[in-house]
Amino acid sequence: MVLDAFATLFHLESLLFLLGGTALGIVVGAIPGLTASMLIALTLPLTFQMDSVNAVTLLIGEYVGGISGGLITAILLRMPGTPASIVTTFDGYPMAQSGRAERALALGILASVVGGVISWFFLAGMSPALARFALQFGPWEYFALIMMALVMLASLTQGSLVKGLLAAALGMAFALPGIDSSIGQPRLTFGSSALLSGFGLLPVLIGAFAISQILREAAAPLRAVKAPAMPGSRLPIAWSDARTFGPNMLRSSVIGTWIGLLPGIGANIAALVSYTTTRQLSREPEKFGTGHEPGVVAGETANNASVGGALIPLITMGIPGSVTEAILIGALTIHNLQPGPLLFQNAPEVAYGIIAAYLVANVMMLVLMWSAVRYIAMISQLPRAGLLSTILVFCVIGSYAVNNSFVDVWVMIAFGVIGLGLELARVPLGPFVIGFVLSPIAEEQLRASLMMSDGRVIEILQRPYALLFLLLAFLTLLWPVAASWLARRRATPSPTPP
Amino acid sequence: MRRPLVDLALALAVLAGATLLFVGAADLPPPRFEPMGSAALPRILGALLTMFATIIGVRAVWRLRTGAGETDEQAAASGAQSARTGDDGESEGTDESDAPAPPPNAVRTLSVLAALVLYVVALDLLGWPFVPVTAAFVLALGTLLTERRVPTLCVFAVYGLGLAVTLHAVFTRFLYVSL
Repeated sequence: MVLDAFATLFHLESLLFLLGGTALGIVVGAIPGLTASMLIALTLPLTFQMDSVNAVTLLIGEYVGGISGGLITAILLRMPGTPASIVTTFDGYPMAQSGRAERALALGILASVVGGVISWFFLAGMSPALARFALQFGPWEYFALIMMALVMLASLTQGSLVKGLLAAALGMAFALPGIDSSIGQPRLTFGSSALLSGFGLLPVLIGAFAISQILREAAAPLRAVKAPAMPGSRLPIAWSDARTFGPNMLRSSVIGTWIGLLPGIGANIAALVSYTTTRQLSREPEKFGTGHEPGVVAGETANNASVGGALIPLITMGIPGSVTEAILIGALTIHNLQPGPLLFQNAPEVAYGIIAAYLVANVMMLVLMWSAVRYIAMISQLPRAGLLSTILVFCVIGSYAVNNSFVDVWVMIAFGVIGLGLELARVPLGPFVIGFVLSPIAEEQLRASLMMSDGRVIEILQRPYALLFLLLAFLTLLWPVAASWLARRRATPSPTPP
Repeated sequence: MRRPLVDLALALAVLAGATLLFVGAADLPPPRFEPMGSAALPRILGALLTMFATIIGVRAVWRLRTGAGETDEQAAASGAQSARTGDDGESEGTDESDAPAPPPNAVRTLSVLAALVLYVVALDLLGWPFVPVTAAFVLALGTLLTERRVPTLCVFAVYGLGLAVTLHAVFTRFLYVSL
């Protein structure tokens, strides 16, 4: 199967499309406001006249490149190029600020490719079995998984736990306005037609992270910009890093692949769950959020691994896990191909081509980003005024391009101001944005669960996976209290034995 | 500004937001097709926000009464590294312990925000063309964020024009975005 996959791909034309797609994806992924799904949607019409294998390889390259490219601006500028890179800002940016930009980039790239390759093994070897397993998940399991992720938000918070929870609740509240999909009626729109479609994720993300960051940067003294250290002659990475981060990468890859399998969850949640799990297991949890390398590794490994995981239900059952996969299914349909078990019989070259293209795209991403990492790191050496003005223009266009509407641009500006205010009040932005992302999914799954169980909440405790997730959430919530109690107990001198 | 005052302002703003949630939820219809209804989550979040805001507010008032704000201010200054890029203590002529938590030059922040708002007003409400407005916006930011030397501003004028023309061409011709 694997050899068949590569046999379909290794033609010069297919490889060139894959290379072009990956490079384009990296560039677009690095620009705040432009995402892989947007790029794939825009490129889709160009594939109408193309051979189906070439079309699929181009789109897969864009997908892998788009997810990976987001780490560049997340690390250098604290502006996640894509939602999948939100978690990377937590430790990547502090690393860049302390003169370790190149190290953060190198680790991020390495983690991305390792996550991609490990998830490829799952994709190539265990697709049908994993897909069947994921199908056992119902709304209660999804809801419990999201609750676990939400509770884990508390552990993301540096400083005040209450402010972390407040940030998550605020983010969830901002996701409420719009048409309630269950009853088809407006909710919390207060008569405004602009609010009927709610606040878009991209304008909120760009506003909260990029605009608020630019506004803070504008306040910095004109002459006193501390640029990260210039790249040296060798990349700051060694074989010992593989040993140091090996378990982290393996664990994060499994988490990323698993969460990628679940429809509607996404790479950003994969990165979040992986990050918080790594932090919980760390002996130095207090270092996370201050430029701690395992934080960058966990997030970047998981978000890339989730792409491989998301491709599993797409290929084996024709189930899209996210907007990007839905567009990929659209691309296959346009080429008269029906994703699902029959794809391997009706168009094996395409089914195997997707699997092979995913691996080769990861390798190409590694080569492209690795060879360019020194030059990428120089972005932070550019004159600040030029950089900020360019990013601001991109932010405006990126928000506008989502729906060709200036409403999204105003939303972006409003969330920029809100983000600035929250940071001044020392309310963390990470839980805020992740609460915003998770809220609609959590509510949808809870309402579906209650409908299925005639309103009996107790059913959640009768489903083993849901119960496991709830238990993990409960333990996560208890852990800071227990850790604090243990630390106090250790600090208390034990009585001298007689 | 002292940290407890900032926290108090935060608590009041959050309480106002929670009130908005309760008011909005009151107008929503009761559940008909499923047990939960669309008003449940706004009410739950409203209650949670009220609880968190109350905790933060009570703590802030307590610190104001006991005069613990200054200690917290120092903690805020030392923890504010993520809030500024490269504004190391030496370059500001201050040490970290007495650096204020808000941005050092709030006027410049407000100027950049005003420039951004005017830029979007020009594009959206006035309908002015993208290329000249974007070129002017980049030049305005160059004026705000540099030391306003003529050669530098000339560079920004040329750069802004080039950037605007390039972006207009790429987005309208290749990405089908109507700018």
